[in-house]
Amino acid sequence: MCDWCMKHGAGGKWYLNARNYSYELAEAMNLQAYLEEQWKNFEQVYIRKIMGISSIGLGYKLRMPIIGRVIRRAVEGMIHSESKNRNPVRADGHFGQVIPIEEAKLIMLNLAAEPIIQNYCMCRLMQKGIKDVCCINFGVLSTVIEKLPRFIPENTKVRLSRDEAAAALEEQNRKGRVATVWFQPVPYICAICSCETPQCGGLRLRMDFGLHTVYKAEYYAEVNPDLCQGCKTCVASCQFGAIRFSPTLKRVLIDPTKCFGCGLCRDRCPHDAIRLLPRNENPLLRGKY
Amino acid sequence: MVKTKIVIDYSKCGNATGGIDPRQCSKCLQACDPAVFVRHMAFNVKEDNPYDPQYWQITPVWLSLCTHCGKCVKACPQKAITVSF
Repeated sequence: MCDWCMKHGAGGKWYLNARNYSYELAEAMNLQAYLEEQWKNFEQVYIRKIMGISSIGLGYKLRMPIIGRVIRRAVEGMIHSESKNRNPVRADGHFGQVIPIEEAKLIMLNLAAEPIIQNYCMCRLMQKGIKDVCCINFGVLSTVIEKLPRFIPENTKVRLSRDEAAAALEEQNRKGRVATVWFQPVPYICAICSCETPQCGGLRLRMDFGLHTVYKAEYYAEVNPDLCQGCKTCVASCQFGAIRFSPTLKRVLIDPTKCFGCGLCRDRCPHDAIRLLPRNENPLLRGKY
Repeated sequence: MVKTKIVIDYSKCGNATGGIDPRQCSKCLQACDPAVFVRHMAFNVKEDNPYDPQYWQITPVWLSLCTHCGKCVKACPQKAITVSF
């Protein structure tokens, strides 16, 4: 179990705690104004100067001796901030975790607060200029996003029922996207995204710069050598470069230290050769999120 | 270490500074495989409606991930991008 489950999970996983989805929590934290400010300025978050430093050329800045380490620590503190005076335009306290599709559907069917909306993926719009209806937002955030015309899809239904939202997530999973659940800000949960590297803002910082904007799932994938036929379908589905085909063994190998536990390879496998195992029961991976 | 520099001529691109509207073009965003560019609202302009901004700009943000492939330079219809390293 990760630190955030300890703090906000009420004895379980943080994203399965119903309190984190409640309107009472949002009201107590005064989130309407916070989220409005955050999403109005969403695209500027990487260009805006924060403590005199913007994300432009972040890779070079992080590689500087000493200064790089100071910046890394400051950014990590910002991403995971729980302080009272968080700054919405810097997206303080906004981070997420990869989840397998069955948990995403569980959240959508049971926990997500109404109203549920679908909108254009902000990251894909910002970094690729592609309009793609894929993010599912709920609770306070959906009423905020409905005020922002650039994120609202045309010619499609915006408000969804629980079943429709679960079906939409399933559809994104079939396309090969990773489901992620987001604190926004911690501990309130109001979005499930279907992410893809390199366009996703969160996965970008995690994969390319090692900042913990997205945590690995509570699971990791393992391949059953007896069932694997070496069809390589799973290799094409992995966004994290954790799977490769071994010509000698005529089957695939999964690197558990690279695996994010999204379960896409398991969903793709035509031979049911891959299963997800709890991360915490593996002595090597325990606590490595 | 080679540091990449990408300069966008904002007199040709970005509708707050006299160029074209990047929302209609976005060719560089789509051409770039590692997604180096970010399209964002312009700073320090007065918007009629802050919920629906009309002034946009493109900034190359993830410079360390640039692969020097030159696709953005070729894709830009305004010839506004220069890459140096």
